[in-house]
Formats: sequence, C-alpha cells, structure tokens
Amino acid sequence: MAEEAVFDFIHMEAVSYVFQGGEKVSEDEAVSKLEHMGFATGYRLVERLTRESGRYKDELDIMKYICKDLWVTVYKKQIDNLRTNHQGVYVLHDNRFRLLTHMANGKQYLQYAPRYLAFTCGLVRGCLANLGVTCVVTAEVTHLPACKFQIQVQRG
Amino acid sequence: MAVPGNYYFAIIGHHDNPMFEMEFAPANKEPKKEDHRHLNQFIAHAALDLVDESMWTTSNMYLRLVDKFNEWFVSAFVTAGRVRFICLHDVKNDDGIKNFFMEMYETYIKHSMNPFYEPNSPIKSPAFDKKAHFYGRKYLTG
Repeated sequence: MAEEAVFDFIHMEAVSYVFQGGEKVSEDEAVSKLEHMGFATGYRLVERLTRESGRYKDELDIMKYICKDLWVTVYKKQIDNLRTNHQGVYVLHDNRFRLLTHMANGKQYLQYAPRYLAFTCGLVRGCLANLGVTCVVTAEVTHLPACKFQIQVQRG
Repeated sequence: MAVPGNYYFAIIGHHDNPMFEMEFAPANKEPKKEDHRHLNQFIAHAALDLVDESMWTTSNMYLRLVDKFNEWFVSAFVTAGRVRFICLHDVKNDDGIKNFFMEMYETYIKHSMNPFYEPNSPIKSPAFDKKAHFYGRKYLTG
C-alpha cells in the first residue's frame, strides 16, 4: 500500500487529539474513544481486505489471517508468535510493534504505551466482529517495543 | 446470451435483513403480470438456512445452487464478512450469475467505503442502483 509514515503520523495525532483537555479528560474515556475508532475502521477494512483471501471455516484460521495477512497489510510485518489455550484465548506477540519502535527501547514511556495500542486493539476487535467472532481485545506491554495482544473470544 | 429468464437479487446482512433488492426481467417481455415480490422475498428468506449450512462446507465464496422452489432456483454467494448475496432465477445461468455476483461484490465494497454508509443498513444509493441495473443487463438478462 502507500507510504507507511502517513498512517503513523495520523495515528500519533489521533492519540494526542483524544487526550487534549489535559486533566479534564479521563484516561479511560480517551482510550475507549481510540478503541472505538479502531473498531469502526477494522469492521469496514476487513470487508475490503478479504476480497482475495476467501472465507475461513474456523476460528483458528481467522486468527492466523489476523496474524499474517492483516498485520502485514497494516504494519508491514507478521505477528511473531501466536499462542492459544484452544478454549477461546489467543495471545499475539509482536516483538517490534511498529507504532512503538520510534518511542523507546526498554521501560521508558511505559505508562504512555497503552494509549498507542488502543486503536490497534479496536482494529483487531472490529475485524474479528465482521468475520463473525465476538471478542474482547486487550494489550499489554512490559518492554518497548514488544507487546502482547490478548484476544478473549466470547462464546454463548 | 442465455435463455432469457427472470431474476431476483437480494443482499442480506448479518441480522438476516435485506439491504438491497432488485428484480430483472428479460427486455422483450411484456412487463405486466402480478407482482411476485412477496413470494420472492419468502423464497429467498427460506433459502437462508440452507445458505448458512452450506457456507461451512466450502471456503469458496460462490456457493452455486443451494435450493429449489417450484420453478425457481436459488444461488448464493457469501463474502468473508458473511454478507450473503442471493439470486433467484428460473433458468440455469451459472457463469452469468457468478460474474454478476463478483461485480456486485466489488460494487458493494466500494459502497462500504462511504463514511455515511452504516454497515448492515439498507443501501439507498442511486449510483449503486445504476451499477446493479447495468451488471444485471450485462450478465443476467442480456
């Protein structure tokens, strides 16, 4: 696709826009706005991106699609590790998450990192929702720029 | 082209709601007999169960023939986002219908990029209607 930097800059601006207003804006509110933006984006995006890749018959195939095709399309690399307990919980490890690589290498800015992951959590949740999987996506970061996305599938 | 036939095309969303419907009749046919729209909707709705069943058996998007009701055949096409395209027809026209589905799929994707279009809501765009008419004439009724 086109130049990657455009998305990086727009994302940065979206994060700082949502946190404008300083003390009056609660962290949760702002993060959930970003997550919602990601959800709406992912929902529409996946309809367009799956044109060529056909349909998927089971959940694991859908997760593999997210780890490979979706991540490559959006972040130009694949997810480094996918773990599952085969009971609806999937953990995606990305050792060099593109939106965090320019920030730090280690523990600096750790408290701000979740802001930059909210949009991606929403993106994954939106994609999965349109593919038929209802879930909750959370992210965890202990050492920039590596991070983990945990997907919990809601069943029943 | 193939033997002229009647076609009823519908796009069904995630909640089994029709988002778009259109009928095609052969150009030379006398346009007036009674409106069979309610019967077409009924047949399409009844076929949804069979579409849902057969979509798990294959990873193709085009499901070919899924059902038959009196003289109507029902063909279906399911996208990865589980949007279902149903076509009722009274003549066999697999290739034409497959091409029509692919073109409508492209048109639908472009339409879904419109920020004012809410996913799973009825499609009310005149441009979409024109495209549907055009591809219907090209691939279905000839």
